Amino acid sequence: MAAVAKVSPGQAAGLYAAAAALRLAVFAFLPGLSDLLAARVEVSTPVTSFKRLQEGLFLYNHNVSPYDGGVYHQAPLLLPLFSLLPSFAALPLPTDLVYVVLDLLSARAIWRIADSGEAGSSALFTSPRRAKRWSGFVLAAFFLFNPFTLATCLGRSTSAFTTYAVLHAIANAVSGAPLGAMVALAFAGYLSLSPLLLLPPLVLLAYDRRRPAGPAPRSGPAFAAVCAAAVAGVLGALFLLSYLVTGSWEFLPSTYGVQLTLSDLSPNIGLWWYFFVEMFDSFRSFFLAVFWLHLSSYVAGLTLRIRRQPLVVLTLLLGIHGIFKPYPSIADTSLFLALVPLYRHVFPLMRYTFLSASVILYSAFLGPAFYYLWIYAGSGNANFFYAITLVWGLGQSLLVCDLMFAVLRDELEVERPEIVGKEIRQI
Amino acid sequence: MRQLFFSLLFCFFSSFAAAADYHEQLNLRPLPQSALLASFNFRSNISVSDFDKGNFRFFPRSLGQILQHASTRELHLRFTLGRWDAESWGARPWNGAREGGTGVELWAWLEAASHQEADHKWLMLTNALSGLFCASLNFIDSTRTTRPVMSFRPEGDHPSLANTQLLHGTLPHEVVCTENLTPFLKLLPCKGKAGIASLLDGHKLFDASWQSMAIDMRPLCRRRNDCVLQIEQTIDMVLDIDRSKRPRHNPIPRPPPADQLPCDTSKPYHARDTCFPLDHTKNQDWALSQIFGRPMKGTCPLTDPQVSPVCIQIPHSRPVYASEGAREKKNPDRISRCFFPPDPSADFDLSLPAPADPSDPEILGPGTPLLYAERSFTGYGQERGGIQTILRNPSPHKEVEFIYMETLPWFMRIYLHTMEARVAGQPAPDKSLVREVYYRPAVDRARGTQLEVRMRVPPASTVLLTYDFEKSILRYTEYPPDANRGFDVPAAVITILDASQGGKEPSPRRPAAYTLRTTSLLCSLPTPDFSMPYNVIIFTSTAIALAFGGIFNMLVRRMVAADEGPEPGLKVLVGKLKKRLGALTGRR
Repeated sequence: MAAVAKVSPGQAAGLYAAAAALRLAVFAFLPGLSDLLAARVEVSTPVTSFKRLQEGLFLYNHNVSPYDGGVYHQAPLLLPLFSLLPSFAALPLPTDLVYVVLDLLSARAIWRIADSGEAGSSALFTSPRRAKRWSGFVLAAFFLFNPFTLATCLGRSTSAFTTYAVLHAIANAVSGAPLGAMVALAFAGYLSLSPLLLLPPLVLLAYDRRRPAGPAPRSGPAFAAVCAAAVAGVLGALFLLSYLVTGSWEFLPSTYGVQLTLSDLSPNIGLWWYFFVEMFDSFRSFFLAVFWLHLSSYVAGLTLRIRRQPLVVLTLLLGIHGIFKPYPSIADTSLFLALVPLYRHVFPLMRYTFLSASVILYSAFLGPAFYYLWIYAGSGNANFFYAITLVWGLGQSLLVCDLMFAVLRDELEVERPEIVGKEIRQI
Repeated sequence: MRQLFFSLLFCFFSSFAAAADYHEQLNLRPLPQSALLASFNFRSNISVSDFDKGNFRFFPRSLGQILQHASTRELHLRFTLGRWDAESWGARPWNGAREGGTGVELWAWLEAASHQEADHKWLMLTNALSGLFCASLNFIDSTRTTRPVMSFRPEGDHPSLANTQLLHGTLPHEVVCTENLTPFLKLLPCKGKAGIASLLDGHKLFDASWQSMAIDMRPLCRRRNDCVLQIEQTIDMVLDIDRSKRPRHNPIPRPPPADQLPCDTSKPYHARDTCFPLDHTKNQDWALSQIFGRPMKGTCPLTDPQVSPVCIQIPHSRPVYASEGAREKKNPDRISRCFFPPDPSADFDLSLPAPADPSDPEILGPGTPLLYAERSFTGYGQERGGIQTILRNPSPHKEVEFIYMETLPWFMRIYLHTMEARVAGQPAPDKSLVREVYYRPAVDRARGTQLEVRMRVPPASTVLLTYDFEKSILRYTEYPPDANRGFDVPAAVITILDASQGGKEPSPRRPAAYTLRTTSLLCSLPTPDFSMPYNVIIFTSTAIALAFGGIFNMLVRRMVAADEGPEPGLKVLVGKLKKRLGALTGRR
C-alpha cells in the first residue's frame, strides 16, 4: 500500500471542529442565509424540504394526519424524531446540531471508505495506479467544505439523512459488516426510495469485503439472499413502525407514490418536472414507467460489466441518480462528488474533466439567475430554467461517463500493459 | 275563554296566511357619496304537505322539483358582483346574511346517510341548478366543495339535522350577468312583468357598484307537523346615482363642458379657471324611473295587499313625492316610510328632490359594522406568497368573536405552521387571539384547503392574521386559456358570533350576528411555455439518450488500441471508393 501521510487525531478533530464551527456560525449569525437556502429549489425539493417537514410536524403534533394533504411527502419516522427535539421556532439550535452532526458522521463514513483503499484495490482487481491517492482526511475535507454539501446542510434539507444512510451503508460494507450495511441501506431506501437500487452492487461489495472468519455464508447466492432478506426485513419493520406512528397506511402513497407518479410538479434541478408539465395526459403513465425503467436499467449493466470494482458501480449509480431521479437536488450531486475523489488514481485517464467541470460550474451559477428571471423578474419564461437543468444534467452525465471510461481503461491496462499511454478506441 | 278562542282563531288565520302567501317589497336607502341601496325582497311559502304532493302555487315548480329530487333540506344560492365599501356605506344589508362572495356561492343541507350519497346528491343538485340558472355551477367539483364545520348554521327549523350534511361550494371566477337574472325573475309569480320586479333590468343591475342576488329556501315550523317551506329571493344593489341617471340613448360617458363641470370648491386652489373635478355630485335628486330606466309597472296582483311594495329609509323631514293617489305611511321609527300605489295596474313612480340645504343631505348615517375585514396577498414572485387579513373592530368596548373561513384551491399549498395572529402595533404574535382551528389540508387535484379559525378581536384594535403559502406549477393542460391572468381565490367568510345569546353554550354553536365576506383574490401561478410540449419532450429525451447511449456504449463495447481491430466502417468505404476511382482512371 502506498504511503499516505498519517493524519494525527488532532488534525482530524480540527477538521471536524472547523466544519461544525462554520455551519453553526452561519446558523447563528446569518439566519437569513440559511432561510434563503432552505427556500431554494436547488436545495429543497417536495420530498426533502425542511419547511414541508415543519408543516408535517405541526400537523402531526396537532393530531391531523400529515399524509391527508398535499404538502408533506417525507418518511413518517422523521416526525417523531423531530418532535422529540425542542420546537424549531422557539429553539433552533438542537435541530441545527442534528444537521451538523449528520454532516460530520457522513464525513467520517467517507473517511472510512477512503482509508479502506477499496477504490484502488478491491478483492478482484488491483489498479497499478493505486499509489496515487488522497487520504481520508482530504476526502472528508472535500465533502465537508463542498459548497453543495454546505448549502444542503444550511438549507436543512432532509436529504442529509439519506446521504448519511447511503455513506454509512458503503462504509459498513467496506469494513466487513454486511448486516450493518444492509440495515443502513434499508434506512436510505425508506427515506427516499431510489437508494434501494444500490442493493446489488452493495451486496457484491459486502461479499467481496466480508471477513474470512465471519459468520456470513460462504456461497454467493446464499449471501445475496441473506442480504436481500435483511433489507426487506428492516424495511418491513420500518413500515410497521411508521404504521404504528401515523395510525394508517396513508403514508405509502403520499411518500413513495409521489415519487413514482410525480404528482407534485414543483420545479427542481432534475429533468422530470418540466417533462411531465408538458406531457400529454394520455402518455403520462407510459412515460413515468419509461423514466423509472430507465433509472433502474443502469443497475444490471454496470454491476455486471464492472463486477470487479463494486464501489465504482455504487459511485456511478449515485451520480446517475443525481441526474435522473424524480426529485434530485444538489444534495445528490454532493454525495456523488464526495465519492469521485476516491478515484484520484484514474484522474489522468479522464478526458473531459475541464469540460464537465466548466459545464457544472456554468449551470450552478446560471441556474439561480435564470430561475430568478422566470419566477421573480418575469423577463424570462420557464424554458430558461429548463434549459439550465438540461445543461446541468448533461454536465453531470459527462462526468459520470468520463469517470466510467477512466475506470474501464484502468482495467484494460492491467490486462494489456503494453497499451499504457496509447490512443484507444471502442469496437 | 273568549280571549283564548280569539287567539286560537288568530293563530289559525295567521298560519293559514303563512301557509300560502306571497309578498314582495323594495327598500330604498340613500347612502353617502350619492349611492343608493335598493333591496328587493320576494318571499313565498308553501306548506310541506303541498310541496310533497307537488301542488306548487307561488313556490317555483322548477326549483321545487330539483330540491325534491336532491332531497335538499335547506338551500342558499348567491350571485354577487362588486365590493361592498364598508368604509363609506357602513353595515351591510340584512346583516350580511343575504350576500355571497364574488361570483357564485352555494351551500345546502342535503339529506344523506353517507358522504358518498351526499356527494352524489350534491353533484345532482349543482348540475340541475347549473341548467336552471345558466351558471357554471356544474364546475363545483370536489376541489371546490367543502363541508364547513363551524361557519354556517341552518336558518330554518329542522326537527333534526342528524341525517343531513352541509356542503358548500364557490365559483369565484364566475361572471354574474343577465343570463342569470332572467331565470331568477322567472321563478317569481309575476315574472318581472308587474310589481317591483318590473324595475329589474340587466343594464342597470349589472352596472351597479355592488349587487347580490340571493335565493334562500328553508323550512319554517310554527309547531311540530305544521311546517312551511319558504323561498326568499333577494336582490341588493348599490347604484351610483350619477351613473344610473345617464340616459339610455346616450350611455357613453363624455366629459361635460367646462362650465358644467362639478368642482370641489373646498380646494384652496379652486378659482374660476381651475377646477378639481368631483367624482360624484352630492345630494342629487332622483326618481325611480330615472335610476331604473323605467317606472314600476303597477303591483303584482298576487302579492299580499297588506305589505307595502315600496319603502324608503330617509328622515321624515325630507319630502318624497310619489305618483298621484299613492298612500304614504310614515313608520313610527321616524326614518322610514312606505307607499301603497293607488291602482294595481297603473305605473308607479317615486322621486326624491334634492335637499334644501346641500350641506346637510339629511340621509341616515351609515351604521357601523361589527367588524371591518380586508384580505390581501403579501410577498412577490410566482413561487410563494402570504395572505394577510386585516380585521378591525370599531367598537370601543366590545370584543368581537367570529369564525374566519377560507376555502383555497389546492394549488395554493398553505403552511399552517406559519399562521399567526397579532394585534397591529405589537411585535409578537398573540396566541390568545386564536381560539380554535379546524383545518383540512388540500390534496392535489382532489380537494381544496378548508380552514376555519375561531378567533377574537379585542375592542378598538386591529388584528392581522397572516400565513404563508406556496404556489405550485400545474400540468399544462390544467391552465385555463388565459393562464397569465391568474387564478381566482374565493372570498373568506367571516361569521360573527352573537355575543348576547347562548352564553352557556359552547361558543361556536351561537347564532351568527353578522356575516361579511372579503373580496376574492387573484393568484398568479408560474406558467410553463405552452407552445413547446413537443420541444420539451424531444430535448429531454435527447439528454437522456446521450447519457444512456454514452454509458451503454462503453458497457457493451470492447476497448482496443487505436491501431488494432478491424478498420472502421467509413474508412473501408472510402478505401473501396478510391480503388474504384483509381480503376476507372486507370482504364481511361
